[in-house]
Amino acid sequence: MRISTECVGCGQCVVFCPSEAISVWGKASISDNCTQCGVCIQYCPLGAIREEEA
Amino acid sequence: MKALIIGGGLGGLLTATRLVKAGHRVEVFERLALIGGRFINLDYKGYTLTSGALHMIPHGSRGPLASMLRQVGADVKIVPSSPPATLRIPDNGSFRDMSFEKFSSPLSLTDKLKLFYLTTKSRFVKPGDESFKDWFFPFIKDTWLIKFANAYCGWALSMRCDEIPAREVLAIIDNMRRYGGPGVPMGGCGAIINALEQVILSGGGIIHTNSQVDQILIVDGRAVGVEAGGGTILGDVVISDIGHQATAQLYDHPGSDEFREYMASLESIKPSAGIKISLGANRPLIEHSGILLTPYARRVNGINEVTNIDPSLAPPGKHLVMSHQAIQSDDIQSEIELGLKDLEDIFHKEDYEVLMVQTYRNGWPVNRAGSGSDLGNTTPIRGLYIVGDGAKGKGGIEVEGVALGVENTIGLLQNFKTNYTT
Repeated sequence: MRISTECVGCGQCVVFCPSEAISVWGKASISDNCTQCGVCIQYCPLGAIREEEA
Repeated sequence: MKALIIGGGLGGLLTATRLVKAGHRVEVFERLALIGGRFINLDYKGYTLTSGALHMIPHGSRGPLASMLRQVGADVKIVPSSPPATLRIPDNGSFRDMSFEKFSSPLSLTDKLKLFYLTTKSRFVKPGDESFKDWFFPFIKDTWLIKFANAYCGWALSMRCDEIPAREVLAIIDNMRRYGGPGVPMGGCGAIINALEQVILSGGGIIHTNSQVDQILIVDGRAVGVEAGGGTILGDVVISDIGHQATAQLYDHPGSDEFREYMASLESIKPSAGIKISLGANRPLIEHSGILLTPYARRVNGINEVTNIDPSLAPPGKHLVMSHQAIQSDDIQSEIELGLKDLEDIFHKEDYEVLMVQTYRNGWPVNRAGSGSDLGNTTPIRGLYIVGDGAKGKGGIEVEGVALGVENTIGLLQNFKTNYTT
């Protein structure tokens, strides 16, 4: 998953990530625990999380 | 009448409940997988954090939001905070807490009299567009009053006292007298969303999630439907909970002067930005269930500990403490650092864990329209109304303003229905 510059750091994605891969500090960042499941995408109010480009 | 509601935040859901209760057909379109906007409970490490709000209703069980919840039969218990608020003042390397009602006690006798004169006068001569600071500071040059006003405006509105119009603050003070201080909803802010959802569904209303509205359909200057999820849904009115600006991006703009003026007026809307820091503690950090205002902190404006009213918002034996600060600069990292330093000072030697730091700004702010810059609930498009934090009612703090805006919109819809629908 990739976080765009639209992210403001509201933290909503953090609690829905099943792999505890997201932390937030002014902006969200995604760790290597990410399994690319994409669950976070539907919880971001700004559409700031996108699939990694292949 | 059939109403289509864009956005399932508090404003959209309150509007939906009012309309369902009045016998209208309602469909709510929420683009995310869950409803509630910035009023959702977020379960994290056994604590109930939120997507925005601080589990506190500004005027508790007596305010506009609580009245509306009662009116629609939403089953929520709001427990009054006691005391409503205290002020933490540094005192010889330690601190002391002062009652909110005695905020003027550090002022000189002359300044107290001037403040009394100013407030009394304002009941007869309404202030113009000057800021709250410009309303009192030319007469009362007192830095304590500035600090106090900034803590209060920062906590309640995410603004400084030189950013908010005096008329809005005075309207808020009137509402405090009328409705009283804050309260905590049992089960947190999410309990309110759940109760509203139940009222909507049991009244035959429909709530779509993962359903983004791509377009508002306009025919002859009137909103007649929406495009959502690849389909067209027709209705008699469209009510948007996503603010004036975002709503205006969803339809073709008419070429009229009235519409150009409307678009120009949108420029005056200023969102408010803030940072919430949630702490988990092993013992109470605040000894009461009200607001601890912190006028002497660098950034933090106020803190609450809602587990003093509803212990279920934290794991057994633990406490949930939430601080709020208005954002003062573009350097978000240092704004956060300063907030955390404040908390270290305020809770010196206390044992707590920082659960999460959440920032609200730009496209997802504290308020889409900072208090005093709200534009009202109508648009130049007939049958298109705006509710929510981008169209609050006068003198309404946060969700109280949302409820006041919804109340106003319901009145407008009543007229609209009489004139335009069968």
